[in-house]
Amino acid sequence: MSSSNYLSISDILVTNEKVPCKFLLDLPKMGFLDPSAAENDLKAGTNIEIPLWLAESLYTRRPPLVSVDLPKIYKETYREILNADACTVDMHKLGQHFYELGCYIAKHDIKSEVSATLLNTYRQRFKMILSATVSTDSINSVQPLSASERERTKSAVVTERALSSWLKIGDCPLTTASMIANHRKRKRAEMELS
Amino acid sequence: MDPFEIEFIGENRIVSIIPNFSHDKIFLICGEFGPFRAGLPMNVPLWLAVMLKQKQKCRMVPPDWMDIEALETIKEEEKISRFFTKMPHEHYMIEAKLILGVAAEDIPRAAEIKTIIKDIWDIRMSKLRTSMDALMKSGGSYGRLDHLTMMEINSVKPLLPQAMDELHRIKMMTRQTSSSTLNSSTFSQSGSSQNK
Repeated sequence: MSSSNYLSISDILVTNEKVPCKFLLDLPKMGFLDPSAAENDLKAGTNIEIPLWLAESLYTRRPPLVSVDLPKIYKETYREILNADACTVDMHKLGQHFYELGCYIAKHDIKSEVSATLLNTYRQRFKMILSATVSTDSINSVQPLSASERERTKSAVVTERALSSWLKIGDCPLTTASMIANHRKRKRAEMELS
Repeated sequence: MDPFEIEFIGENRIVSIIPNFSHDKIFLICGEFGPFRAGLPMNVPLWLAVMLKQKQKCRMVPPDWMDIEALETIKEEEKISRFFTKMPHEHYMIEAKLILGVAAEDIPRAAEIKTIIKDIWDIRMSKLRTSMDALMKSGGSYGRLDHLTMMEINSVKPLLPQAMDELHRIKMMTRQTSSSTLNSSTFSQSGSSQNK
């Protein structure tokens, strides 16, 4: 989520995501960008997916060489699903860096509805982080979370664990019992060794 | 913060003990305590009380709030109220845990008190969860933490502030792009470098 952090690995990964672009001008000798093209030159009007960092720099040129289209997860159909119930969407499959990429992509959205969708999705899916934190079935509850949501969950789990271990310590007989058990085992292991 | 660090902070609370030995005043960083007279109740910090109790040098006087009836009413209030109610004090959980841990025999009906305090804690924790979710859903930009104790605030600590942070960042990043074309005069005071 750090837009200006040049050396941030996650930011590099985000800007490496591919976005669909339409080329507005003929580009000589750039045919290799389009894997399906047979010619050497890239024709105007070609639609291909290029990494965000490339798209951004081509877009900011004057005149712009490409027009950036929205990736499918930010399109109308998915926006409707996300606004209806964001918790049903498997972000791990559909958009690993949903929020981060969304921040970059929002300015290419003419109707500027992406921003509202991002916020709404985040608000709705906060519940999933909460439940993933306390869930015993950690694999299934963490699975549909996006990369940044997983990060959040991970740090929340650390707090949760620390608190529950603090609550258990002292008046819980289990701790001493297991310690004694370990102690005996250790002794037996030592006896077997000698 | 680690729960044990908060426990350490909470251990500075003053509690009453009845020592079974006599000793002059002792001088500590946190103040002077004593003189100790066998059989006479006196006030010491919680950590000292726990230490003396472990050495069988004193009896704990149950704190005022550690009373079945009082705790029952707190529990009922906590159940009914939509908001958090006022707790006996900031570190009730730490005090309860330490005193009930080392000196359960000095507290009348210790087992019941333990259960009630745990109930109150559980009610408050689940309330905290639901209100966190409600806060995010409603789109509020701040949460009121009235009557929450340090331990409870700490339990939401990396998650809630980070989430609010992230929401704010998404808002700022997406707004910046739309506003940079609409009103470029807003930044004129802080320098025109902001405008593209």
